[in-house]
Amino acid sequence: MSEPLLSVRGLTKHFPLYAPGVRRRVAGVSKAVDDVSFELAPGESLGLVGESGSGKTTTARCILRAMDPTAGEVLFRLPDGRRVDLAVLSSRELKPVRQHAQMIFQDPFSSLNPRMTVRDIVGEPLVIHRLARGAELDARVSEILQRVGLKPEHRSRYPHAFSGGQRQRIGIARALIMRPSLIVCDEATSALDVSVQAQVLDLLQELQREFRLTYLFVTHNLDVVRGFCDRVAVMRKGRIVELASTAEIFSAPQHPYTKILLSAVPSPDPDLPMNFNIGEELARLDAMTS
Amino acid sequence: MNFSAEIEFFANRARMAAPRVAGLAKMSDPTPSVSAQASSPLLEVKNLRVSFFTRDGVVGAVQNVSFAIGRGRTLALVGESGCGKSVTASSLLRLVQPPGRIIGGRILLRSRREGEIDIAHLDEKSGLLFKVRGGLVSMIFQEPMTALSPVHTVGSQVDEAILVHQDVSPAAARRLTLDMLQRVGIADATQRYHQYPHELSGGLRQRVVIAMALVCRPELLIADEPTTALDVTIQAQILGLIRTLQREIGFAVLLITHDFGVVAQMADDVAVMRHGEIVERGTVRGVLKNPEQAYTRTLLDALPSRRYAARAALMRRVDGE
Repeated sequence: MSEPLLSVRGLTKHFPLYAPGVRRRVAGVSKAVDDVSFELAPGESLGLVGESGSGKTTTARCILRAMDPTAGEVLFRLPDGRRVDLAVLSSRELKPVRQHAQMIFQDPFSSLNPRMTVRDIVGEPLVIHRLARGAELDARVSEILQRVGLKPEHRSRYPHAFSGGQRQRIGIARALIMRPSLIVCDEATSALDVSVQAQVLDLLQELQREFRLTYLFVTHNLDVVRGFCDRVAVMRKGRIVELASTAEIFSAPQHPYTKILLSAVPSPDPDLPMNFNIGEELARLDAMTS
Repeated sequence: MNFSAEIEFFANRARMAAPRVAGLAKMSDPTPSVSAQASSPLLEVKNLRVSFFTRDGVVGAVQNVSFAIGRGRTLALVGESGCGKSVTASSLLRLVQPPGRIIGGRILLRSRREGEIDIAHLDEKSGLLFKVRGGLVSMIFQEPMTALSPVHTVGSQVDEAILVHQDVSPAAARRLTLDMLQRVGIADATQRYHQYPHELSGGLRQRVVIAMALVCRPELLIADEPTTALDVTIQAQILGLIRTLQREIGFAVLLITHDFGVVAQMADDVAVMRHGEIVERGTVRGVLKNPEQAYTRTLLDALPSRRYAARAALMRRVDGE
């Protein structure tokens, strides 16, 4: 295997829990992410799945330093071959690194500023990093809009004029205009209809081939992961309980939690009944592990 | 898990599917006999038309939609966003917001308690429409937070549903509420009764909404994307709860969803909507296994699991060469 693009080692994020009262005495910690380790090979898609509250989004945010991790290493390989630990870089050191790792968000309605035009939204990363301006900026915005299936003349419109799928394409264009090597998709297709979701997933896969992108795909939808990712990490209560190739996870899940999770997915085949007794089984699993 | 019981249950369901096909054939008959009594469906929607009269012109959101639901049965209405499925659902309770208006068709509810009612032609201020809303027909929504008042305790909100429809004392209403909260699987109901919606998780909130919808023992439950906002494990529990209560209480369900997985696991019959019209309908097994319309096939092929299967087959072919 080639050298990993990203290796996460022992990543941990604790949030303080305060005792009731005005003094905000710290009464304990919530281990949102607890000793998470995995590697991402260049060009790979890794799915990070789990329920809400499992720590998958916190993990993603700690990797991109939208949050500061409590402990652990996030080693990221830059295009020039240098390796940096994203977990300890200062914000000034981080800025040049950020252009290589971008994020696509879940909600195409709240992740786009309603008072900015598409040109400003998509071009903003280039402005911030002082990579382009004026006519060149315009040209690059038009180019990337076309690449994600929008029209260059959409540049001067505002987000409200677009459908959910189109908005998500704007979000993709904004991430892609920096030509990053790593893209973290946080529930990037969860807010979309099945057919629109299929189109966006197709687009992400085309772009991956074209730009040799590496995806960390955070989602609660196992069905999406199955068609999209090479490997899957299943998270529960801040820990990765199982990490294996997509085929293995779906055909031969090892961890009882993975099995329960898979059995809860409603199959579109009426002959494959789903499991409605999830609550009891999860409770039994908790009783076993504690 | 009790596996043999599960298998037996699904075998029973399959057996029950046979007479259902016959019922459906009757339903699609353009002129159903008015004299049909016992076997006639609980709800019959005939040529429903809903239009929105906007400044820029008239939009026909629902165009000549007809369907029927038998007592205790589940019909799934599927389609993409904007196809008119939610407008159809809200017109059953006469909740279409202006500039929208029902401009034609009939919505026949054959209630055990109140007899046959044409909801489409009830007067807006009639007592019967009041009884229909929340009494005979109730609805649960996608986002439980918006369906609940943030400034009232969940207990008082369920109480209110009882008090507006039933002639009982507040103390009796409270007993009914606590009983219902327990039945929807809220463990410490007496404690939860006094809590506010923001203190509950999404799954618990949806359970409260279900309790509120079912506490007056409706004959029809409209579930508009009831689990779309929930995790897969919570979704499984909520869907299981709806099914259990449906068997116990005996209400029929109109399930609005865009998820064919939920359709396959929950519904008896399915109607596929597009651009305000029903383009295909039939039994779940029939439509999902052998869709007749190209549009239904397209929707099914968009499912990630189907796409995965198609890609895997392609890879095998490539590998074989």
